Amino acid sequence: MKHFLLFLLLPLTLLAHMNIAVSYPYIGAITKAIGGDHVDTVVLAKGNWDPHFVVPRPSLIAKMRSADALIMNGGQLEIGWLPPLINRAANPKTQTNAKSFLNLSHNVVLLHKPQNVDRSGGDVHPDGNPHFHLNPANILVLAKRIEEFLISLDGEHRTIYEDNYAAFSAEWTKNMEVWKDTMADKRGKKVIQYHDNLAYFNDAYGLQSVGTIEPLPGIPPSSRHTLELIQLIEREKPCCVLHDVYHSTKTAEFISEKTGIKVILMPHDIGALESIEDLKSLFDYLTGAIK
Amino acid sequence: MKKILLATALCATLIHAADVLPVEKRTFEQSKYIPDISLVMDASYVSRSVSDDAIAHLEVPGVVHGLLGSHAHGEHAHSTYNAENGFNLNYAELVLSSSVDPFFTMDGIFHFSPNGVAIEELYFTSTALGNGLRAKGGKFNSNFGYLNEQHHHAWDFADMPLVYEAFLGMHGINETGLQIQWTAPTSTYLMFGAEVLQGDNEQMFGNSTIDLTAINAAADPAQAEYEKAPSMFVGYIKTSFDIEDTTILAGLSYAQGSSRIDHTEDDENKHAFSGDSKLYGADLVIKHSFDSYSSLKWQSEYLYRDMDGVQYANNVSDVFVSPDMAKKQAGLYSQLIYAYDRSWRTGIRYDAFIQNDVEKDGVTVAQPSGLEKYSVMAEYSTSEFARFRLQYDHNNAMFDEAGQRQSIDSVILQANISIGAHGAHSF
Repeated sequence: MKHFLLFLLLPLTLLAHMNIAVSYPYIGAITKAIGGDHVDTVVLAKGNWDPHFVVPRPSLIAKMRSADALIMNGGQLEIGWLPPLINRAANPKTQTNAKSFLNLSHNVVLLHKPQNVDRSGGDVHPDGNPHFHLNPANILVLAKRIEEFLISLDGEHRTIYEDNYAAFSAEWTKNMEVWKDTMADKRGKKVIQYHDNLAYFNDAYGLQSVGTIEPLPGIPPSSRHTLELIQLIEREKPCCVLHDVYHSTKTAEFISEKTGIKVILMPHDIGALESIEDLKSLFDYLTGAIK
Repeated sequence: MKKILLATALCATLIHAADVLPVEKRTFEQSKYIPDISLVMDASYVSRSVSDDAIAHLEVPGVVHGLLGSHAHGEHAHSTYNAENGFNLNYAELVLSSSVDPFFTMDGIFHFSPNGVAIEELYFTSTALGNGLRAKGGKFNSNFGYLNEQHHHAWDFADMPLVYEAFLGMHGINETGLQIQWTAPTSTYLMFGAEVLQGDNEQMFGNSTIDLTAINAAADPAQAEYEKAPSMFVGYIKTSFDIEDTTILAGLSYAQGSSRIDHTEDDENKHAFSGDSKLYGADLVIKHSFDSYSSLKWQSEYLYRDMDGVQYANNVSDVFVSPDMAKKQAGLYSQLIYAYDRSWRTGIRYDAFIQNDVEKDGVTVAQPSGLEKYSVMAEYSTSEFARFRLQYDHNNAMFDEAGQRQSIDSVILQANISIGAHGAHSF
């Protein structure tokens, strides 16, 4: 009888791993890679939609309520949707002052920190551009930070997290060499974007962003700005428009028609396109997209 | 020359002092503790087919006197919404929010309006209880139903649904008290909430003694005495789940409390009501998102109230009477909002009272039917921080004192502009 009870309880103890809520799919992938079987990740935002605008669905409150930790991107990317969820879930473990709360943006140097924070310049991020995960070197930095974070929460499995990080790091470093080779001849190319969400990717591979389709961050395209952009394209001769998957490509197609410039869809996260199933395929796709 | 030298030296010292003491290094520097601050402007231009004076004398028969964004009676500092023909500065909403300590946050929401300053909300919220529990204390909008918790500028239409405004007044259940909510540890969102409130709502609840001698000197002043406060209780259950990109949120709510409705200061037909009231609500919101910016949202609420007590008034011969009065009334609204993209949204709304049973001393008082209202709106946002809305209402629910239906057509142009901290709204 005793053995039977133990047998019943055994699966429960095996399942007693950490339940970690993360804001975006890429954070979930890193956390899963480091945490392995000892963590369950709950991804709050969808990878194919605008990371700035996430519907704070009540089902997300239920997910946050039972989370043992929360890892967010930070840099004000979640400002419009995560605070009410944190508030409603009222989970001490997901409060911003908790040991089990991690803001990843504190671990990387943000690009383009504005000198002047004023909304007449659009919806600027005061701390700088928050799309830092698109530099593959930053993924390693974040993975290291997540390794430390998991160890701080669950020291018992320290060696497992350390081993997982070492394996991830070795694999990722190898991949980075491949991506570096693929992108070697793209260095110096000029590109247009919709929103500057590839700033870190461009920085990593020496691409030069010369303009955006939106006149200012968060402000929809205007006909005057589009005409100016067409003139700029004719002058600067950028190779392509690197377009995110969540804004309408209508304006980009119009510009393409007028100037002959190529429009290339660039996924920003796992799930942004159906073929992007993990971190490696995300960067395989991004580095292979510019021909 | 000496003066110039002295002035130069002084300037130099000042500049030097400023040099060596940047703001963040000054002793006892506190600026890092400034709470999040935002200011929201809510203003409108209104054109109605009926004059402001005439509207004050209209009523929804058996339900409420005077409506359409103005205060039914009494003087107070609360803001009004689109109350007058022409330009209306409804309010400036000042919001201050911050953590208090590791255990609480505090939010203060103040409405500055031509009527004065009102503490719209001021509450602390627990952050450390855990187990899905959250407690809140202070003055706040009750979480009864779906719309009640939202402020005017967060609504999808410039005016409140008819049934809400008629039953509860344009500020809804906005009370001082305590709230406790518990989210169940289930994968489907399931939340239970309970609130104990002071019970001051002037339109349906209330607990103060009413001076009946203001109606008629012959009245017995002991008849409508105060009820011990807090005199209002609210409870609700809400659940939500997603089917692909469609979110469904449903709730059932209940409120009960004593009623002391005081119209003894009215210019004509002075009357009062004393009794007990119950309010039942059911709400359903279904929102389908097509992509990050485009969505279709269907929002409906049903309210039913059961009021039981005594009415105090003068009859036609100016004799003080106090018949037993029972009201069983129900209304609903249903609205559909289509967000085309981040800039454009449009919507329609239907409002109706579907039950209006009023009994005096057990005798039914006949009430007209067809108390309905239709609204349509389109809005344009230049960014997340500025929105302009054009709305048209056709209201068939208002009657004059002679019992004649007065259809009202309104055009409302509303502006909501905000600066400061980035607001983030719940679902």
